[in-house]
Amino acid sequence: MNNKSIFLKLLIMTFIFSVLSPLVVIAVWSISGRWSWPRILPESLSLRGVNELFGGYSGAMQVLGSSIVLSLIVALFAVIIGTMTARALVLYDFHGKQLIKFGTILPIIIPGTVFAMGVHVLLIKMGLADTAAGVIIVHLICALPYVIKIMTDITAAFGNRLEEQAGVLGATPRQIMTNVTLPSLMPGLISSASMAYIMSFSQYFLTLIIGGGNVKTFSVMMVPYLQSGDRTIAAAYSMVFVCSSLIVFVVFEKAVKKIGKDESGYFFA
Amino acid sequence: MRKLKLAPYILVLPVALLSLLFIAGIINGLIQSFGIIPSLGLTVPTLQYYIEIFRRPELLASIGITLYISIVSSLAAAVIGVLLCAILVTTGMAKGKIMQIVKVPILIPHTVVALFVIMIFSQSGLLARVLFELGLISSQESFPSLLYTSHGMGIIFAYIWKEVPFVAFFLVSVMANISTTLGEAAENLGASKWKTFINITLPLCMPAIKNAFLIVFAYSLGAYELPFLLGATAPKTLPIQAFIEYTHPDLLHRPYAMALNGILFFISFVIVLLYFKVLQQDVGKNGGLHE
Repeated sequence: MNNKSIFLKLLIMTFIFSVLSPLVVIAVWSISGRWSWPRILPESLSLRGVNELFGGYSGAMQVLGSSIVLSLIVALFAVIIGTMTARALVLYDFHGKQLIKFGTILPIIIPGTVFAMGVHVLLIKMGLADTAAGVIIVHLICALPYVIKIMTDITAAFGNRLEEQAGVLGATPRQIMTNVTLPSLMPGLISSASMAYIMSFSQYFLTLIIGGGNVKTFSVMMVPYLQSGDRTIAAAYSMVFVCSSLIVFVVFEKAVKKIGKDESGYFFA
Repeated sequence: MRKLKLAPYILVLPVALLSLLFIAGIINGLIQSFGIIPSLGLTVPTLQYYIEIFRRPELLASIGITLYISIVSSLAAAVIGVLLCAILVTTGMAKGKIMQIVKVPILIPHTVVALFVIMIFSQSGLLARVLFELGLISSQESFPSLLYTSHGMGIIFAYIWKEVPFVAFFLVSVMANISTTLGEAAENLGASKWKTFINITLPLCMPAIKNAFLIVFAYSLGAYELPFLLGATAPKTLPIQAFIEYTHPDLLHRPYAMALNGILFFISFVIVLLYFKVLQQDVGKNGGLHE
């Protein structure tokens, strides 16, 4: 019994180590100057990476800002559309339900590059290629299956019995929404918004092809540095990418929770 | 009453429109793969592009490496991910701080994971340096080259790092649910934790596990980033090859790109068929739950 739990602890430790150690390596690389073979620690430290990102001349911070805004828009739309779809799929019977269900899983089952190149030509015709709107639409398509899955699970688990009961007891639809529906869906709303945000924020290929260099996201801006072999700069970009997502998540989770608890606030209305 | 009947249609309208755009995009690509691009003066349907692809040995190798990388990385991710999730759920850690660590790889993009792999597993990487320090290897060259090779080890490592936590995260709520409801019932009746897990929780989680596997498999099949940053010059994976043809200065190469996509599409189509077969099986199984 004891041996078993030590073994399990070891496994968990290994897992935590393999997740966190690459982050430490990146963090060290991002501030290292010379780090030649076979040194295990860098020979000198340098602020080259920090200057490149925060020095103002590379424009990295502007791109980061607009990138965050773009992904927040995707997350917002994804959560709204996802919640609507989940309600329809769980609480109603209607014609074409199976078709809609099938449509919502297609984007995770059909390879991304097939979709990207196919839809690119269509978006050119619609005048949406090379625009932020076009990029937001394709990001939405990629994020929605996950959001719908999360929201469907939570809507199904929660059902609408409590809502009906509240209605029977005389609550107005708006009261039901803010006091019954939203609080119960809140964990799902937070995780699906985070999921959609990160799907959009990390999208490289789709943004590259649909944005056509016109819509520059942080993810697109970063990749040439990853390719170039300049590990210090590449690591600095990666650090900023990871930290910015973490900050957005924390702020986001706090804000949403606050709104959820605040009875006078309306998350959707 | 009328309003109630309309409600579901209004609720699904946005997702239906987006699905239509998605499907139109796929169909558009497929039409082009049969050599129909009126704007380029191509109007006669033909299988020529597919036939030419199957005649080029390097493209057959592309199909091979694409499938190999996807299958190996997704199987490994599914098995390790289920184990991780099981440990988290049975030890009660699924509600603890460790879930924050499980989420970390989900929020790190594949491009950054590629950088991790380069920094750790390249011949001048950290692992080689540690082994050198320990005297286990004598030079950079004696460390096996894991990146940019045709066995795709670097890409597979990167996918596993990224997808194990995804699988665990995808399963954790289902598994925790089953193990607290039915699992605890079984434990109250005297079954051990692990016995309960294997006989009750795992079989009931199977549909979710299959879902998770299919998601990571289909993703790695059509992903561009990792093979682009960590892949060999030859053979290239199908998405890379397709994008090279797509961005070829000669627009007449576009049908080749679309035909390569057509092959990827066909592979994923087969998966979808299997998926529904698999799901139906489960429905059948659940009908006769008593084992």
